[in-house]
Amino acid sequence: MTEGISRSRLRVLFALFAVATLLLSLRVGYWQTIGRAALLEGATDQIRSELVVEAQRGVIRDRTGAILATTVDLRSLYAIPKRIPDHAAAAAKLAPVLATPAATIRAALDSGAEWLYLKRRLPEPVARAVDALAIPGLGFEPEPKRLYPNDALAAHVLGFVNDDGVGQYGVEGAYDKVLRGVPGRLVVERDPKDRELALGLRTAVPAKNGADLVLTIDLVVQTAAEQALRRAIEREKAPSGSIIVLDPRDGAILALASWPTFDPSRVAAADPLSLQDRAVSWTFEPGSTMKAVTIAAGIDKHVVTPTTTYEDKGCTVIGGRRLCNAQGKVYGTTTVTQILERSANAGAVFVASKLGQDPLYQYLRAFGFGDPTGIDLAAEASGAVRPLAEWYPVDVGTVAYGQGIAVTPLQLAMAYAAIANGGTLYRPYVVAATRDAEGEHRTAPVAIRSPIGADTADTLRTMLVSTVDKGIAHGASLPGYSVGGKTGTAQIPSDDGRYVDDAYISSFAGFVPASDPHFAVVVVLERPQTKLLGTVTAMQTFHDLATDVLRNARVQPDRP
Amino acid sequence: MRRQFPSRSHGAHAVPRRRHGAGTTWEVRTFVVVSAAICAVFLLTVLYLSQATTVATRGYEAQRLEQQRDELRRQNALLEVESARLDSPARIEAEARRIGLVRAAAVPVFQAEPIAAKR
Repeated sequence: MTEGISRSRLRVLFALFAVATLLLSLRVGYWQTIGRAALLEGATDQIRSELVVEAQRGVIRDRTGAILATTVDLRSLYAIPKRIPDHAAAAAKLAPVLATPAATIRAALDSGAEWLYLKRRLPEPVARAVDALAIPGLGFEPEPKRLYPNDALAAHVLGFVNDDGVGQYGVEGAYDKVLRGVPGRLVVERDPKDRELALGLRTAVPAKNGADLVLTIDLVVQTAAEQALRRAIEREKAPSGSIIVLDPRDGAILALASWPTFDPSRVAAADPLSLQDRAVSWTFEPGSTMKAVTIAAGIDKHVVTPTTTYEDKGCTVIGGRRLCNAQGKVYGTTTVTQILERSANAGAVFVASKLGQDPLYQYLRAFGFGDPTGIDLAAEASGAVRPLAEWYPVDVGTVAYGQGIAVTPLQLAMAYAAIANGGTLYRPYVVAATRDAEGEHRTAPVAIRSPIGADTADTLRTMLVSTVDKGIAHGASLPGYSVGGKTGTAQIPSDDGRYVDDAYISSFAGFVPASDPHFAVVVVLERPQTKLLGTVTAMQTFHDLATDVLRNARVQPDRP
Repeated sequence: MRRQFPSRSHGAHAVPRRRHGAGTTWEVRTFVVVSAAICAVFLLTVLYLSQATTVATRGYEAQRLEQQRDELRRQNALLEVESARLDSPARIEAEARRIGLVRAAAVPVFQAEPIAAKR
């Protein structure tokens, strides 16, 4: 049979086979040695998956344990258009369930994308309704969503979480690192159906979930504060306002309401102005509420007593400028207590003149004005107390009744809390405790300093009770309880350095029950339509709120 | 009567002749041993495969249960949110108003000490 094949051909064939075999052997040798790692990596990649295990964001609760914010995986609806047999029919079925026009869904399905989200983070009933349609080519993927069960309640305290999962504003912003936790890592081998192989490689670094926060906020008090604020805003057609309720005994914030407000779960639709917390991040000239601080300084410095008198002529001249009582009223012989009862500007100037610029400035700073209070919320404003070197001679008079100084409602509340609690200025706080895997860490109240002595505070409390019982703040009185407080009507500075005509900021700052204060409350209304009578609404708001709060806390009346 | 065994010094006659019965026994023994070894290996293999399959099946079952657990946790979290929503004081107040309840104008408070003193 081989006689017909020449030897040379056989040699050529042999040589070809030999070369082919050699090349194949070299190639095999290469893959077994040098290229082994690449092959191994390729094979491993096909079955191994490396995942980032997201940490669960911590839950935020009020002081009673009620959930204020929590994170839940909601189902996001995705589509693989090629697997949907009839796009038009699918869009028609989905439209009423997703509350989206059928044409929009159809356009998405016809867009040519291989995979796309139709709607993300669906409410559970909607997800179930879509599931029941059993449309092929649709699927769900869980995505975390921050939920706020009380809707817009306490929005400014809570803040919100943006689409990237980063907390902003409020405690979500201030405690973002604590709430967020640390993501973990999971490496597993999977079969072609994407199921984990039981006998496969599995290495895991577990995620460290974020800590839970327990706030000092009381859901009932917060609700009452927001409802009271809303009623006042509607009555006065005021563009903005705020209310703070705190425990003067340790600085714990019980409620913090700010208007305009927003829904933390729908921030994209919110007016940017509504994001500002007007209790913490906004400043105003406080007006007459500052007289209590001036007189506290005067009494503490022993330059006046509650019974010290002066002759009120309606106006007084200081630094070459006339400073007058509201509406030009003349009170005649007036005691220091009556300065508060009548809210006499000339009287406040009288006390400040006896005190002097430097001590007045020092007391203002000691009460915390001009510095952030240190509350554990994002974006706190510091207010403005000009350095003493920049004061004009007239400033000692205007500052005495709250002009030429800018404060936040929170600073004012803390100053009144210091008067209420016997003279201690506390650092306000909203996070009562953090809870993580290691246990609960409670926040200890921080006493910053004592701007006035206990005797002075006691005297001031009595004077402020008299202001409510007999004086200008009578609208804030409550049956069965002693109330201490002071109204404030402030002018609004304009851009040209003067004051806006016929527009005011009305406020009331007080505490209850005055014999053993449990609550310090500040109400601020910007530009009320009743103008100078805006303080009446502020006092009424305090009255309604204090009634609710005292009932809720079951505080025993201290008066018959 | 004494039986004489062949002496070692008798050369070719010194090696004992393999008896037919002994050869058969050796082959049978070898066959049995090899067969037993094969059976053992087979059984071990089957056992291993059975165990491996069981572990894999259990693994899939564990995964299914994990998914079920996660879904139940998710449902539980959703229920907690719903419960919190229903417990909201604002919602309760609105509901109370809807059914015609009104806020008490005054809440009488009795001092406990005088009453206790009378007793």
